Amino acid sequence: MNPQLKGVEKLEGTYLFDLAASAKALRLNRFLHGFTVPINRALFKGDPEAAFDKAGLSAEERRMVRELDWAALMRYGASFFCLEKLGRVKGVSNPEMVAGFRGESLKEFLKTRNVPGAR
Amino acid sequence: MAKILGGIGTSHVPTIGGAYDRNKQNDPDWTPLFRGYEPVKSWLEHKKPDVLVFFYNDHATTFFFDHYPTFALGVGVEYAIADEGLGPRAVPPLKGHAGLARHMADALVNDEFDLSVFQDLPIDHGVHSPLTMFWPPSPDWPGKIVPIEINVLQHPIPTPARCWKLGQAVRRAVLSYPEDLKVVIVGTGGLSHQMNGERAGFNNEKWDQKFLDLIARDPKKLVAMRHADYIRLGGTEGAEEIMWLAMRGALSPRAKKIHQNYYLPMTTAMAVALFEEPVRKGRASRKASARNPA
Repeated sequence: MNPQLKGVEKLEGTYLFDLAASAKALRLNRFLHGFTVPINRALFKGDPEAAFDKAGLSAEERRMVRELDWAALMRYGASFFCLEKLGRVKGVSNPEMVAGFRGESLKEFLKTRNVPGAR
Repeated sequence: MAKILGGIGTSHVPTIGGAYDRNKQNDPDWTPLFRGYEPVKSWLEHKKPDVLVFFYNDHATTFFFDHYPTFALGVGVEYAIADEGLGPRAVPPLKGHAGLARHMADALVNDEFDLSVFQDLPIDHGVHSPLTMFWPPSPDWPGKIVPIEINVLQHPIPTPARCWKLGQAVRRAVLSYPEDLKVVIVGTGGLSHQMNGERAGFNNEKWDQKFLDLIARDPKKLVAMRHADYIRLGGTEGAEEIMWLAMRGALSPRAKKIHQNYYLPMTTAMAVALFEEPVRKGRASRKASARNPA
Protein backbone atom coordinates (compact mmCIF):
# COMPACT_ATOMS: atom_id res chain seq x y z
CA MET A 1 0.00 0.00 0.00
CA ASN A 2 1.10 3.57 -0.69
CA PRO A 3 2.28 4.90 2.70
CA GLN A 4 1.22 8.42 1.67
CA LEU A 5 -2.40 7.24 1.62
CA LYS A 6 -2.57 5.23 4.84
CA GLY A 7 -5.70 6.31 6.68
CA VAL A 8 -7.68 7.41 3.62
CA GLU A 9 -9.54 4.06 3.71
CA LYS A 10 -11.20 5.26 6.93
CA LEU A 11 -12.85 8.20 5.16
CA GLU A 12 -16.40 7.32 4.19
CA GLY A 13 -17.74 8.10 0.73
CA THR A 14 -14.29 8.56 -0.78
CA TYR A 15 -13.05 6.80 -3.92
CA LEU A 16 -9.39 7.32 -4.67
CA PHE A 17 -8.39 7.08 -8.30
CA ASP A 18 -5.36 4.82 -8.16
CA LEU A 19 -3.69 2.40 -10.56
CA ALA A 20 -6.20 -0.37 -9.78
CA ALA A 21 -9.19 1.88 -10.56
CA SER A 22 -7.37 3.23 -13.59
CA ALA A 23 -6.75 -0.29 -14.95
CA LYS A 24 -10.30 -1.46 -14.25
CA ALA A 25 -11.94 1.52 -15.98
CA LEU A 26 -9.32 2.19 -18.67
CA ARG A 27 -11.68 1.45 -21.59
CA LEU A 28 -14.50 3.53 -20.09
CA ASN A 29 -12.21 6.44 -19.23
CA ARG A 30 -10.70 6.32 -22.73
CA PHE A 31 -14.21 6.59 -24.17
CA LEU A 32 -15.00 9.58 -21.93
CA HIS A 33 -11.65 11.24 -22.65
CA GLY A 34 -12.54 10.92 -26.34
CA PHE A 35 -15.12 13.71 -25.87
CA THR A 36 -12.22 16.18 -26.14
CA VAL A 37 -12.45 15.49 -29.90
CA PRO A 38 -15.50 16.99 -31.73
CA ILE A 39 -16.02 14.01 -34.05
CA ASN A 40 -16.45 11.67 -31.06
CA ARG A 41 -18.98 14.04 -29.48
CA ALA A 42 -20.93 14.19 -32.73
CA LEU A 43 -21.08 10.39 -32.99
CA PHE A 44 -22.21 10.03 -29.36
CA LYS A 45 -24.87 12.72 -29.72
CA GLY A 46 -26.18 11.32 -33.00
CA ASP A 47 -25.95 7.58 -32.30
CA PRO A 48 -24.87 6.66 -28.77
CA GLU A 49 -25.05 2.92 -29.39
CA ALA A 50 -22.68 3.24 -32.37
CA ALA A 51 -20.29 5.23 -30.16
CA PHE A 52 -20.49 2.49 -27.49
CA ASP A 53 -19.82 -0.18 -30.15
CA LYS A 54 -16.82 1.70 -31.49
CA ALA A 55 -15.37 1.97 -27.97
CA GLY A 56 -16.22 -1.67 -27.19
CA LEU A 57 -18.02 -0.78 -23.95
CA SER A 58 -19.56 -3.59 -21.87
CA ALA A 59 -23.30 -3.77 -21.19
CA GLU A 60 -22.77 -2.38 -17.67
CA GLU A 61 -20.62 0.50 -18.93
CA ARG A 62 -23.24 1.37 -21.56
CA ARG A 63 -26.05 1.37 -19.00
CA MET A 64 -24.19 3.70 -16.61
CA VAL A 65 -23.34 6.15 -19.40
CA ARG A 66 -26.81 5.97 -20.98
CA GLU A 67 -28.52 6.66 -17.65
CA LEU A 68 -25.88 9.16 -16.44
CA ASP A 69 -25.63 7.10 -13.26
CA TRP A 70 -22.91 9.29 -11.75
CA ALA A 71 -22.63 7.40 -8.46
CA ALA A 72 -22.26 4.02 -10.20
CA LEU A 73 -19.76 5.41 -12.72
CA MET A 74 -17.66 6.75 -9.87
CA ARG A 75 -17.76 3.47 -7.94
CA TYR A 76 -16.83 1.60 -11.13
CA GLY A 77 -13.58 3.54 -11.45
CA ALA A 78 -14.40 6.42 -13.79
CA SER A 79 -12.17 9.43 -13.19
CA PHE A 80 -14.15 12.52 -12.20
CA PHE A 81 -12.17 14.47 -14.79
CA CYS A 82 -13.29 12.11 -17.55
CA LEU A 83 -16.87 12.19 -16.26
CA GLU A 84 -16.65 15.99 -16.38
CA LYS A 85 -16.32 15.73 -20.17
CA LEU A 86 -19.47 13.57 -20.35
CA GLY A 87 -21.17 16.21 -18.20
CA ARG A 88 -20.22 18.95 -20.68
CA VAL A 89 -21.48 16.91 -23.66
CA LYS A 90 -24.79 16.18 -21.90
CA GLY A 91 -25.21 19.71 -20.51
CA VAL A 92 -24.91 18.54 -16.89
CA SER A 93 -23.15 20.96 -14.52
CA ASN A 94 -20.55 19.92 -11.93
CA PRO A 95 -22.89 20.74 -9.00
CA GLU A 96 -25.47 18.38 -10.53
CA MET A 97 -22.85 15.64 -10.85
CA VAL A 98 -21.74 16.20 -7.26
CA ALA A 99 -25.38 15.97 -6.15
CA GLY A 100 -25.52 12.64 -8.01
CA PHE A 101 -22.46 11.32 -6.14
CA ARG A 102 -24.12 12.30 -2.86
CA GLY A 103 -27.43 10.69 -3.81
CA GLU A 104 -29.18 14.06 -3.69
CA SER A 105 -31.17 16.15 -6.13
CA LEU A 106 -29.50 19.30 -7.42
CA LYS A 107 -32.04 21.35 -5.44
CA GLU A 108 -31.16 19.56 -2.20
CA PHE A 109 -27.45 19.94 -2.83
CA LEU A 110 -27.67 23.66 -3.58
CA LYS A 111 -29.33 24.21 -0.18
CA THR A 112 -26.02 23.15 1.40
CA ARG A 113 -23.98 25.75 -0.54
CA ASN A 114 -23.02 29.31 0.44
CA VAL A 115 -23.89 30.92 -2.91
CA PRO A 116 -26.29 28.64 -4.83
CA GLY A 117 -26.38 31.03 -7.80
CA ALA A 118 -22.64 30.89 -8.45
CA ARG A 119 -22.77 28.27 -11.20
CA MET B 1 20.44 37.03 -15.41
CA ALA B 2 16.82 36.04 -14.90
CA LYS B 3 15.24 36.99 -11.61
CA ILE B 4 12.16 35.89 -9.70
CA LEU B 5 9.89 38.75 -8.65
CA GLY B 6 7.41 36.75 -6.62
CA GLY B 7 4.77 34.06 -6.72
CA ILE B 8 1.05 33.49 -7.00
CA GLY B 9 -0.99 30.66 -5.52
CA THR B 10 -4.45 30.34 -7.01
CA SER B 11 -7.35 27.95 -7.39
CA HIS B 12 -8.07 26.85 -10.95
CA VAL B 13 -11.66 25.55 -10.85
CA PRO B 14 -13.13 26.04 -14.38
CA THR B 15 -15.91 28.32 -13.12
CA ILE B 16 -13.27 31.05 -12.51
CA GLY B 17 -12.58 31.20 -16.26
CA GLY B 18 -16.30 30.74 -16.90
CA ALA B 19 -17.14 33.80 -14.78
CA TYR B 20 -14.58 35.82 -16.79
CA ASP B 21 -15.89 34.54 -20.14
CA ARG B 22 -19.48 35.36 -19.17
CA ASN B 23 -18.51 38.87 -17.90
CA LYS B 24 -19.82 38.22 -14.40
CA GLN B 25 -17.82 41.00 -12.68
CA ASN B 26 -20.98 42.90 -11.69
CA ASP B 27 -22.95 39.81 -10.67
CA PRO B 28 -23.05 39.89 -6.83
CA ASP B 29 -22.47 36.11 -6.77
CA TRP B 30 -19.13 36.64 -8.53
CA THR B 31 -17.98 40.15 -7.55
CA PRO B 32 -16.03 38.90 -4.48
CA LEU B 33 -13.99 36.65 -6.77
CA PHE B 34 -13.17 39.38 -9.31
CA ARG B 35 -12.27 41.86 -6.54
CA GLY B 36 -9.94 39.31 -4.99
CA TYR B 37 -7.88 39.12 -8.18
CA GLU B 38 -7.65 42.90 -8.72
CA PRO B 39 -4.54 43.44 -6.55
CA VAL B 40 -2.79 40.55 -8.35
CA LYS B 41 -3.67 42.02 -11.74
CA SER B 42 -2.40 45.48 -10.68
CA TRP B 43 0.82 44.02 -9.26
CA LEU B 44 1.52 42.24 -12.56
CA GLU B 45 0.70 45.39 -14.56
CA HIS B 46 3.20 47.26 -12.40
CA LYS B 47 5.95 44.59 -12.32
CA LYS B 48 5.58 43.58 -15.98
CA PRO B 49 7.07 40.07 -15.78
CA ASP B 50 8.24 38.51 -19.05
CA VAL B 51 7.37 34.95 -18.08
CA LEU B 52 5.03 33.16 -15.69
CA VAL B 53 6.24 29.67 -14.75
CA PHE B 54 3.20 27.54 -13.92
CA PHE B 55 2.98 24.50 -11.66
CA TYR B 56 -0.43 23.13 -12.62
CA ASN B 57 -2.27 19.92 -13.19
CA ASP B 58 -3.84 18.56 -16.32
CA HIS B 59 -7.37 17.13 -15.93
CA ALA B 60 -7.15 14.05 -18.18
CA THR B 61 -7.36 16.46 -21.10
CA THR B 62 -3.89 16.79 -22.62
CA PHE B 63 -2.74 13.51 -21.14
CA PHE B 64 -4.62 10.24 -20.67
CA PHE B 65 -4.11 7.35 -18.27
CA ASP B 66 -2.45 5.19 -20.91
CA HIS B 67 0.65 7.27 -20.07
CA TYR B 68 0.14 9.85 -17.35
CA PRO B 69 3.27 11.92 -16.62
CA THR B 70 4.19 12.57 -13.00
CA PHE B 71 6.03 15.78 -14.00
CA ALA B 72 6.01 17.20 -17.54
CA LEU B 73 7.67 20.43 -18.66
CA GLY B 74 6.35 22.35 -21.67
CA VAL B 75 9.16 23.56 -23.94
CA GLY B 76 7.07 24.82 -26.87
CA VAL B 77 6.53 28.29 -28.32
CA GLU B 78 2.74 28.00 -28.40
CA TYR B 79 0.08 25.95 -26.63
CA ALA B 80 -3.46 25.77 -27.98
CA ILE B 81 -6.37 26.18 -25.57
CA ALA B 82 -7.58 22.62 -24.99
CA ASP B 83 -11.04 21.40 -25.90
CA GLU B 84 -12.51 19.95 -22.69
CA GLY B 85 -15.82 18.89 -24.21
CA LEU B 86 -17.39 22.20 -25.19
CA GLY B 87 -14.80 23.46 -27.66
CA PRO B 88 -11.90 25.68 -26.55
CA ARG B 89 -12.39 28.96 -24.66
CA ALA B 90 -12.33 32.04 -26.89
CA VAL B 91 -8.90 33.25 -25.71
CA PRO B 92 -5.67 33.26 -27.74
CA PRO B 93 -3.25 30.31 -27.66
CA LEU B 94 -0.79 30.54 -24.77
CA LYS B 95 2.72 31.69 -25.72
CA GLY B 96 5.61 29.60 -24.45
CA HIS B 97 9.11 30.88 -23.66
CA ALA B 98 11.06 28.10 -25.37
CA GLY B 99 14.47 29.56 -24.49
CA LEU B 100 13.87 29.56 -20.76
CA ALA B 101 12.02 26.24 -20.93
CA ARG B 102 14.85 24.45 -22.76
CA HIS B 103 17.33 25.84 -20.28
CA MET B 104 15.10 24.63 -17.44
CA ALA B 105 14.93 21.15 -19.00
CA ASP B 106 18.74 21.01 -19.10
CA ALA B 107 19.08 22.41 -15.60
CA LEU B 108 16.40 20.22 -14.02
CA VAL B 109 17.56 16.95 -15.59
CA ASN B 110 21.15 17.71 -14.57
CA ASP B 111 19.80 18.50 -11.09
CA GLU B 112 18.34 14.93 -11.05
CA PHE B 113 14.72 15.92 -11.81
CA ASP B 114 14.22 13.63 -14.80
CA LEU B 115 10.89 15.00 -15.94
CA SER B 116 9.27 14.43 -19.29
CA VAL B 117 9.02 17.27 -21.80
CA PHE B 118 6.32 18.21 -24.28
CA GLN B 119 6.13 20.58 -27.24
CA ASP B 120 2.93 21.92 -28.76
CA LEU B 121 0.21 20.18 -26.73
CA PRO B 122 -3.04 21.96 -25.86
CA ILE B 123 -3.38 23.08 -22.23
CA ASP B 124 -6.55 22.98 -20.14
CA HIS B 125 -8.12 25.10 -17.40
CA GLY B 126 -5.42 24.13 -14.89
CA VAL B 127 -3.44 27.06 -16.33
CA HIS B 128 -5.83 29.43 -18.05
CA SER B 129 -8.94 29.39 -15.84
CA PRO B 130 -7.31 31.70 -13.25
CA LEU B 131 -4.88 33.31 -15.75
CA THR B 132 -7.55 35.47 -17.40
CA MET B 133 -8.39 36.96 -13.98
CA PHE B 134 -4.91 38.40 -13.37
CA TRP B 135 -3.15 38.46 -16.79
CA PRO B 136 -5.98 38.94 -19.29
CA PRO B 137 -5.32 39.00 -23.03
CA SER B 138 -5.93 42.45 -24.49
CA PRO B 139 -6.08 41.34 -27.20
CA ASP B 140 -3.09 38.98 -26.79
CA TRP B 141 -1.43 37.67 -23.60
CA PRO B 142 0.88 40.19 -21.90
CA GLY B 143 3.79 37.71 -21.88
CA LYS B 144 4.90 34.09 -22.08
CA ILE B 145 4.56 31.04 -19.90
CA VAL B 146 6.50 27.90 -19.02
CA PRO B 147 4.07 25.15 -17.94
CA ILE B 148 5.06 22.36 -15.56
CA GLU B 149 2.39 19.67 -15.24
CA ILE B 150 2.14 17.69 -12.00
CA ASN B 151 0.07 14.50 -11.72
CA VAL B 152 -2.48 14.91 -8.94
CA LEU B 153 -5.15 12.71 -10.57
CA GLN B 154 -3.84 9.15 -10.47
CA HIS B 155 -2.20 7.85 -7.30
CA PRO B 156 0.68 7.50 -6.65
CA ILE B 157 1.13 11.25 -7.06
CA PRO B 158 4.39 13.01 -6.09
CA THR B 159 4.81 13.68 -2.38
CA PRO B 160 4.48 17.18 -0.91
CA ALA B 161 8.22 17.07 -0.11
CA ARG B 162 9.06 16.17 -3.71
CA CYS B 163 6.99 19.08 -5.04
CA TRP B 164 8.78 21.42 -2.65
CA LYS B 165 12.15 20.15 -3.92
CA LEU B 166 10.97 20.55 -7.52
CA GLY B 167 10.18 24.17 -6.69
CA GLN B 168 13.68 24.65 -5.28
CA ALA B 169 15.22 23.08 -8.40
CA VAL B 170 13.09 25.33 -10.62
CA ARG B 171 14.38 28.33 -8.66
CA ARG B 172 17.98 27.26 -9.36
CA ALA B 173 17.12 26.68 -13.02
CA VAL B 174 15.45 30.06 -13.51
CA LEU B 175 18.14 32.04 -11.66
CA SER B 176 20.88 30.46 -13.80
CA TYR B 177 19.28 31.61 -17.08
CA PRO B 178 21.62 34.19 -18.63
CA GLU B 179 19.01 36.48 -20.18
CA ASP B 180 17.62 39.38 -18.11
CA LEU B 181 14.10 38.01 -17.70
CA LYS B 182 11.59 38.94 -15.02
CA VAL B 183 9.85 35.76 -13.85
CA VAL B 184 6.88 35.10 -11.59
CA ILE B 185 6.10 31.59 -10.30
CA VAL B 186 2.49 30.41 -10.19
CA GLY B 187 1.05 27.35 -8.44
CA THR B 188 -2.57 26.46 -9.17
CA GLY B 189 -5.17 24.18 -7.57
CA GLY B 190 -7.20 23.70 -4.39
CA LEU B 191 -8.17 24.74 -1.90
CA SER B 192 -10.54 22.31 -0.15
CA HIS B 193 -12.83 20.30 -2.42
CA GLN B 194 -13.78 16.74 -3.18
CA MET B 195 -15.31 15.66 -6.48
CA ASN B 196 -16.10 11.99 -5.82
CA GLY B 197 -18.22 9.73 -3.63
CA GLU B 198 -20.80 10.59 -1.01
CA ARG B 199 -18.21 12.90 0.57
CA ALA B 200 -18.26 15.05 -2.61
CA GLY B 201 -18.89 18.69 -1.84
CA PHE B 202 -16.69 18.50 1.27
CA ASN B 203 -15.05 21.79 2.29
CA ASN B 204 -13.07 22.89 5.32
CA GLU B 205 -12.73 26.64 5.62
CA LYS B 206 -10.80 26.39 8.88
CA TRP B 207 -8.14 24.22 7.24
CA ASP B 208 -8.06 26.45 4.15
CA GLN B 209 -7.31 29.49 6.31
CA LYS B 210 -4.61 27.57 8.16
CA PHE B 211 -3.08 26.49 4.83
CA LEU B 212 -3.04 30.12 3.62
CA ASP B 213 -1.24 31.09 6.83
CA LEU B 214 1.29 28.23 6.78
CA ILE B 215 2.17 28.53 3.08
CA ALA B 216 3.52 32.00 3.86
CA ARG B 217 4.80 31.66 7.41
CA ASP B 218 5.86 28.05 7.89
CA PRO B 219 5.66 26.05 4.63
CA LYS B 220 7.92 23.30 6.05
CA LYS B 221 4.94 22.16 8.16
CA LEU B 222 2.96 21.63 4.95
CA VAL B 223 5.91 19.88 3.31
CA ALA B 224 6.04 17.35 6.15
CA MET B 225 2.39 16.33 5.76
CA ARG B 226 1.27 13.22 3.85
CA HIS B 227 -1.36 13.04 1.11
CA ALA B 228 -3.70 11.28 3.55
CA ASP B 229 -3.54 14.42 5.75
CA TYR B 230 -4.37 16.71 2.82
CA ILE B 231 -7.25 14.44 1.77
CA ARG B 232 -8.68 14.20 5.30
CA LEU B 233 -8.42 17.95 5.87
CA GLY B 234 -9.19 19.31 2.40
CA GLY B 235 -10.86 16.52 0.41
CA THR B 236 -9.40 14.26 -2.29
CA GLU B 237 -8.91 17.17 -4.69
CA GLY B 238 -7.51 19.32 -1.87
CA ALA B 239 -4.34 17.32 -2.57
CA GLU B 240 -3.82 19.78 -5.45
CA GLU B 241 -2.32 22.09 -2.84
CA ILE B 242 1.04 20.41 -3.43
CA MET B 243 1.33 22.68 -6.50
CA TRP B 244 1.29 25.68 -4.17
CA LEU B 245 4.19 24.00 -2.33
CA ALA B 246 6.17 23.79 -5.58
CA MET B 247 5.53 27.52 -6.13
CA ARG B 248 6.53 28.38 -2.56
CA GLY B 249 9.64 26.21 -2.86
CA ALA B 250 10.71 28.29 -5.86
CA LEU B 251 10.60 31.50 -3.77
CA SER B 252 13.15 32.62 -1.23
CA PRO B 253 12.38 32.22 2.50
CA ARG B 254 12.12 36.02 2.67
CA ALA B 255 9.23 36.27 0.19
CA LYS B 256 6.27 38.03 1.82
CA LYS B 257 2.58 37.39 1.27
CA ILE B 258 1.19 40.80 0.33
CA HIS B 259 -2.39 39.86 -0.61
CA GLN B 260 -4.89 37.04 -0.33
CA ASN B 261 -8.53 36.40 -1.09
CA TYR B 262 -10.82 33.51 -0.15
CA TYR B 263 -14.25 32.78 -1.58
CA LEU B 264 -16.26 29.59 -1.14
CA PRO B 265 -19.47 29.91 -3.15
CA MET B 266 -20.13 26.33 -4.35
CA THR B 267 -17.99 23.15 -4.23
CA THR B 268 -14.42 24.46 -4.50
CA ALA B 269 -12.77 26.97 -2.19
CA MET B 270 -11.43 29.67 -4.52
CA ALA B 271 -8.33 31.29 -3.09
CA VAL B 272 -5.55 33.48 -4.37
CA ALA B 273 -2.38 34.58 -2.58
CA LEU B 274 0.32 36.92 -3.87
CA PHE B 275 3.94 36.69 -2.69
CA GLU B 276 6.61 39.30 -3.32
CA GLU B 277 10.35 38.83 -3.11
CA PRO B 278 12.23 41.55 -1.26
CA VAL B 279 13.58 44.12 -3.71
CA ARG B 280 17.35 44.31 -3.45
CA LYS B 281 18.11 47.98 -3.80
CA GLY B 282 21.28 48.94 -5.60
CA ARG B 283 23.14 52.18 -4.89
CA ALA B 284 21.37 54.00 -7.77
CA SER B 285 17.86 53.03 -6.73
CA ARG B 286 18.60 53.91 -3.07
CA LYS B 287 19.62 57.38 -4.19
CA ALA B 288 16.48 57.63 -6.31
CA SER B 289 14.22 56.61 -3.45
CA ALA B 290 15.97 59.13 -1.15
CA ARG B 291 15.15 61.87 -3.62
CA ASN B 292 11.57 60.65 -4.07
CA PRO B 293 10.46 59.23 -0.72
CA ALA B 294 7.34 57.12 -1.10
